[in-house]
Amino acid sequence: MMEFQPGEERGKDGRRIIKVRKEDLVSTLSKLKSEGYIHLSLITGVDRKDFIEVVYHLHSFERNEYISVKTVTYNSEVPSVTSLWKSADWEEREEYDLVGIRFIGHPNLKRLFLPENWVGHPLRKDYDLKNVQYINVDEEGEDYATFDPGDGW
Amino acid sequence: MKTGDPGILTTTLEKALEWGRSNSLWPLTFGLACCAIEMMAIQASKVDISRFGSEIFRNSPRQSDLMIVSGTVTKKMAPRVKRLYDEMPYPKYVIAMGVCVIQGGPYVEGYSVVLGVDRVIPVDVYVPGCPPTPEALTYGLMTLQKKIRGEATR
Repeated sequence: MMEFQPGEERGKDGRRIIKVRKEDLVSTLSKLKSEGYIHLSLITGVDRKDFIEVVYHLHSFERNEYISVKTVTYNSEVPSVTSLWKSADWEEREEYDLVGIRFIGHPNLKRLFLPENWVGHPLRKDYDLKNVQYINVDEEGEDYATFDPGDGW
Repeated sequence: MKTGDPGILTTTLEKALEWGRSNSLWPLTFGLACCAIEMMAIQASKVDISRFGSEIFRNSPRQSDLMIVSGTVTKKMAPRVKRLYDEMPYPKYVIAMGVCVIQGGPYVEGYSVVLGVDRVIPVDVYVPGCPPTPEALTYGLMTLQKKIRGEATR
């Protein structure tokens, strides 16, 4: 089992990678935002089987520099950063949709891409690919997922 | 031509219709993924499909005869592809461009991709490649023209 230690290291391209506990996540990000990393470029989720890693990629226009902030969660719950960046809204919805991370404090945590009744989160390691799901459109034009291959595509 | 045989007349009219249809295939402006970049190239000057009468990419499915499905058809896109195909008037033809459209391609083990657009709409010509070159797509178009004229070999 991989151990998570808070701290700082350098990536292969010299980028600073800051590892924090999820309790310190919002305070760290807000400190970095006040230091000039004002652009939230990307949020990624990584399924490491024992835990889920969430990576925040920030960009500073003044220094032309990227920085990564990593945190881990063992119960799929992470505090939301929508209070710091409005753009985190859809990024976190995408994470919830595909990796199944629940962002605590998110104003509208719904699926972004897949239909609401899709079962499971496809980028999880334990997602069952044998159980194929199909998508079709109902009378109102809303997408729905189904297990019946005769109903959708 | 006074041969007294009306059969010859009918055949000739059909031939004329097939000739007209095959030389005025207007495609639908419709690209789904990277194959669409190669599809744009067949309209440019190097391999110009206006030589075959297909120069006008129509912006409405109601004015087009040919749907070039260029790019990965996701499960979410499949109902929309079906709807666009249903809106096209007869006679209508479909070219499946690239391996993603033919059978899923590199996404064949994924959760999100339809394994072949022929599960959604009927396909006339398959053009393999990832992506197919503009020359290959032009050959596919010429094959479709031959199919319309009844000259194609399987």
